[in-house]
Amino acid sequence: MRRGTTVRLIAAREVRQRLRSKLFVGTTLVIAALLTVLAALPALLGAFDPAEPVVDPSAEESALPRLGVVGSLSLAERTAIEAAIGPIEVVEVADVDAGGAALTGTTDDLVAVVVPGERVLVAPPGQLLRPASVAATRIAEALALGELFSDDPDRVGEVLARPSLPVEEVGDVDPAEATARLVVANLGVVFLFAVLIMYASMIINGVIEEKGSRVVELLVATVPVRSLMTGKLLGLGIVGLLQTLTLFAPPLAVLLLTAGDVIPAGVGGLGVAIAGWFVAGYALYAVMAAGLGSLVSRPEEAQAVLTPANVLMIGGYLVGFLAINAPTSTFAVVASFVPFSAPYAMLVRQALAEPAWWEVALAAALTLSAAAALTVVAARIYEGGILRTGARVRLREAWRAG
Amino acid sequence: MLVLEQLQRRFGDVVALERLDLTVAAGELCGFVGPNGAGKTTAMRCAVGVTTPDAGTVTWEGRPVSLAVRRRIGYMPEERGLYPRMRVAEQLVYLARLHGLPAATAAANTAHWLDRLGLAARRDSPVEELSLGNQQRVQLAAALVHDPVLLILDEPFSGLDPIAVDVMSEVLLERASAGVAVVFSSHQLDLVEDLCRSVAVVDAGRVVLRGDVRELKRAGDRRLRVAVDGDPGWAAALPVDTEVVARRNGEITVALGAEVDPGVVLELARASGPLLHVRLEEPRLSELFRDALQDRLPR
Repeated sequence: MRRGTTVRLIAAREVRQRLRSKLFVGTTLVIAALLTVLAALPALLGAFDPAEPVVDPSAEESALPRLGVVGSLSLAERTAIEAAIGPIEVVEVADVDAGGAALTGTTDDLVAVVVPGERVLVAPPGQLLRPASVAATRIAEALALGELFSDDPDRVGEVLARPSLPVEEVGDVDPAEATARLVVANLGVVFLFAVLIMYASMIINGVIEEKGSRVVELLVATVPVRSLMTGKLLGLGIVGLLQTLTLFAPPLAVLLLTAGDVIPAGVGGLGVAIAGWFVAGYALYAVMAAGLGSLVSRPEEAQAVLTPANVLMIGGYLVGFLAINAPTSTFAVVASFVPFSAPYAMLVRQALAEPAWWEVALAAALTLSAAAALTVVAARIYEGGILRTGARVRLREAWRAG
Repeated sequence: MLVLEQLQRRFGDVVALERLDLTVAAGELCGFVGPNGAGKTTAMRCAVGVTTPDAGTVTWEGRPVSLAVRRRIGYMPEERGLYPRMRVAEQLVYLARLHGLPAATAAANTAHWLDRLGLAARRDSPVEELSLGNQQRVQLAAALVHDPVLLILDEPFSGLDPIAVDVMSEVLLERASAGVAVVFSSHQLDLVEDLCRSVAVVDAGRVVLRGDVRELKRAGDRRLRVAVDGDPGWAAALPVDTEVVARRNGEITVALGAEVDPGVVLELARASGPLLHVRLEEPRLSELFRDALQDRLPR
């Protein structure tokens, strides 16, 4: 029998056993359903519908922003204010105290209260329903202009109506796409961390199950130890990809169906990058989990022995988040080529900094090479540790025995 | 033919195997006995390739035991082990396939052995739901399901009830008569004596007694068991090449060298009083075992 057949048989058993677990399948389906509902929610709530006028045209008069005035506005001042913020409805306010009460209370909805020649009152910033601060600044500027041209109100309109210099954005960054990329970078790093730590845990428990139940001695009498390890990693990797697809394919499909034209085109490729870095990251961390798992026989020892791998995974995760804040920094560039942080840091750079294709290829090659080197080390530790049941085996002893 | 030749293995300062030699032919049912820590399990693990010896060779039909040969060995480890949550039949099919059997043959063999060992009704039960005795039967089925040409079983009778012992014995005899080389370790020497054609006694990592059970018994010191209604002091004057090996309930057992005439010992006994009973017989395997290890074991 060829070695590939053995690995396939072992991998198939791993897949079958996981998929037979009602808890595993049930949890995955429930989470997938929740994610799908979440993805469908914006469409159900009409967030992607074409904008409709909120205000009835017949009620336009009453929909004008209301400006409180203590005393009265000169024609020049009113002209200046309307030139600055558009048509307004002037509401007379008795005095400064009444203006303050109207602004901070809930019964009135004044944009600001003007005391001509003196000041402009606005609600404190905590009152978010009153978008007044920008308007108030413009009102204050308009009032000053109105005062300046008090003899000639038409000049005020002329001055304010003069077209301002054009403001141009350089580069071809679509703001919507930039936001989407930032979201993908953040979610991608969290997703990678979550699945890598989950599958490292699943692998170590699988190794301990074979060791703890002693079936491993029966297996290694028939199967090369490395085939056993490879089959297990391959099987659980397939389960991981299947679970990822089950979790994310339905919500993504819903999003594409309901908001395909809203999602920026450049973001789609990042999905492929996340899948690719999952495979590379899995290859790296899974072999570590398998090697370390062979050192212990009891599930309660799993997390303790997995600590070195967890430290690297958490380190990579933190590096990924630091890289989000400075995706073009030297730190992010270097981290994107270091195998243990590359899955996170290069993903972030792909989302936010557009590295050259060869940089991505080099980072992937370095990560996979490290995984291959680590496989040799882990396989030797696995060989040395897998048959030694009972007390925890020291790393050095396993290495010597392997 | 399985040949273990000059096997050596140390674990730190502990010598597990010290130039151990053992040969088991096709169709032979060989008992592998020895005190705890003698090296039986290590020797068996070397034979199936689970442990690599520091020196020496393991061959089957004159060739080193490669992976292809290992797939034709049925092995029952001392530390029993199966996937606890996997179903019985599925587990056996899986193990048979790992040994290289096509899916259809693996399924047919699984059905055969489950039927033969009385487990057909439990084929879809997870192993962990079976009684320990039934788990032991599944373990035996796991060693047999791929039609091995060599069976290496470490303590297969340990923990079995008398009915299960009978089933296991029948199966081992049947396999040996079908031409399979069978070697199993056990501390139940009477059972080994009844069941096996040959035996190997191992002590301190080397084989100290090896051969056909009947021939070994024939060549061993005969036992004369005598009970006398009189002073048991008669045994103090035994002739050369005889030895008292047991005293129990007034019966004295004397080991007789090959040249010793039992009549001489009987004369001594009769001089002390009337004989209550006399029996001359070949030694039991347990007695040969003690003889082989006489320097180390208490009488």
